[in-house]
Amino acid sequence: MDSKFNDERYLTFALGKGRLANKTLDILEQIGITCEEMRDKSSRKLIFVNEELKMKFFLAKGPDVPTYVELGSADVGVVGYDTVLEENRNVYEVLDLGFGKCRMCVCGPASAKELLLHHERIRVASKYPNIAKDYFYNKKHQTVDIIKLNGSVELGPLVQLSDVIVDIVETGSTLKENGLEVLEEVCPLSARMIVNPVSMQMEKARIRDLVLRIREYLEKEK
Amino acid sequence: MNQRLLHTPEGVRDIYGKEYAKKLAVENQLHELIAGYGYEDIQTPTFEYFDIFSKEIGTIPSKELYKFFDKEGNTLVLRPDFTPSMARCAAKYFMEEKHPIRFTYKGNTYTNTSNLQGKLKEVTQMGVELINDPSVEADAEMIALVVESLKSVGLREFQVSIGQVEYFKGLCQEAGLDEETEMDLRACISGKNFFAAQELLRDRKVSDPYREVLLKVADLFNSMTSLNDAKKLVHNERSLAAIERLEKLDAVLKLYGVDAYVSYDLGMLSKYNYYTGVIFKAYTFGVGNAIITGGRYNTLLSRFGKDAPAIGFAIVIDDLMEAMSRQKSEPETPQIEALTYDPEIPGDFEKALLLARSLREQGKRISLLAKGKDGKE
Repeated sequence: MDSKFNDERYLTFALGKGRLANKTLDILEQIGITCEEMRDKSSRKLIFVNEELKMKFFLAKGPDVPTYVELGSADVGVVGYDTVLEENRNVYEVLDLGFGKCRMCVCGPASAKELLLHHERIRVASKYPNIAKDYFYNKKHQTVDIIKLNGSVELGPLVQLSDVIVDIVETGSTLKENGLEVLEEVCPLSARMIVNPVSMQMEKARIRDLVLRIREYLEKEK
Repeated sequence: MNQRLLHTPEGVRDIYGKEYAKKLAVENQLHELIAGYGYEDIQTPTFEYFDIFSKEIGTIPSKELYKFFDKEGNTLVLRPDFTPSMARCAAKYFMEEKHPIRFTYKGNTYTNTSNLQGKLKEVTQMGVELINDPSVEADAEMIALVVESLKSVGLREFQVSIGQVEYFKGLCQEAGLDEETEMDLRACISGKNFFAAQELLRDRKVSDPYREVLLKVADLFNSMTSLNDAKKLVHNERSLAAIERLEKLDAVLKLYGVDAYVSYDLGMLSKYNYYTGVIFKAYTFGVGNAIITGGRYNTLLSRFGKDAPAIGFAIVIDDLMEAMSRQKSEPETPQIEALTYDPEIPGDFEKALLLARSLREQGKRISLLAKGKDGKE
């Protein structure tokens, strides 16, 4: 029943640009899904095809990946958990790919620690307003003003734009160099595979097979 | 001319010409089919009191409702879906009725979703509600109607997924979960978010045999599609009764001859509390979401004072149209023919008029056109 529709349909992947996409391609190669075209850095193509396996791949900016998947333009997406949380789209989250590990944290100068203990109204700068809002409102029950920034969020506390920031922390060296530190951890992050709900039903056999094979590979690598 | 006057707000649109003709054709086809099962048309107001669609009853979060006030200061809401209105009507006009009541409706629904997400804020829904019939035959009638509806408009590739929320509820009860955990877990599972479910069960210290079973429900890939496997995992009556119900349903669906389109998924849950038995969704290529959703809601009517079981579903017509066009399934639309006359010739108009009348009586669609006005001559 599952396979009868799939004769000529492509399974489409949306991959978050950059390291994420490369790592994903590494894993896919390990389980026998290759896309030579995509490895070719000089190519200016936007969509890459593996005719044999009937698969298509395209690169997209991270925050757009859940959008492509939700609206069904891609069946499968790979993107950081931070993006999944921030965009909060109607997609199925099926796999933790284990790479790209880092943490979403509340950071600031040591002196700001005090501000997080009470239900004081403080200013929070972040590239992730939805994650910040959910954390402060629903987990800490603290009312805060959230200021959306588009990069170099660490500047916030340094130029008195905000009291603290909510941002991704990998090594913490940028923080340290600027006299900031991790005050609280919001959640751990890593790359996730997401799937469109309709694709999950209509392409169940193919997606299931894909996920199980990647899962098996990841188990072995552990 | 002021060009700005030509715009419509984001999320709403004009539908006209060929596209509207197709939409009407599809609506008519579906309506004919549904009417053939004895469903009676009902029309309810476009807006109602806020309480009708409030959190306990509705399925749309309050912030996504279009709200406004009347002159007395009551909060009114543009309907986001039809089911609460149907339940209200059934309670109001059929309070004493014990026999099955069959409603069908069609109309536009409104949700105030965020901008820039490519989602419509006004869509047409058509649906049915079958009230006062708790039987498995009623469940089957719904599923059969879903399949027949999609077939009748020419779709070939679609899937109807059926779940039973009682299975999960029984399991939660067996595991002794409190209400909050159950709600949170349901949200994780309905979003097929295995990791969040895993974390939640760890955080709330759910003990092991149950944790494993609950995770199995959340896990798509060892998914509970086989009723037999699902049966072996549980030891409580509520869950077992749920499975038994699905087995009976399957038998009736075979009689309808629609079982080939159906699959079972006990991990299919709804975020909303109001479903009490079978729930189902129909999926097809070309749209990002289910085009039909429905289920049994045996307690909703009691909120309006009538204690009666009910089941129903809604088709999002706009999504259906999109899926049909992507799958190149074009509905037949009536042709409009132009009949020309020459205003210069005395009596030609009268002749044309007579001819047009007789053609129209034969059911043809005729527009009268004066020669020289069609832009060609």
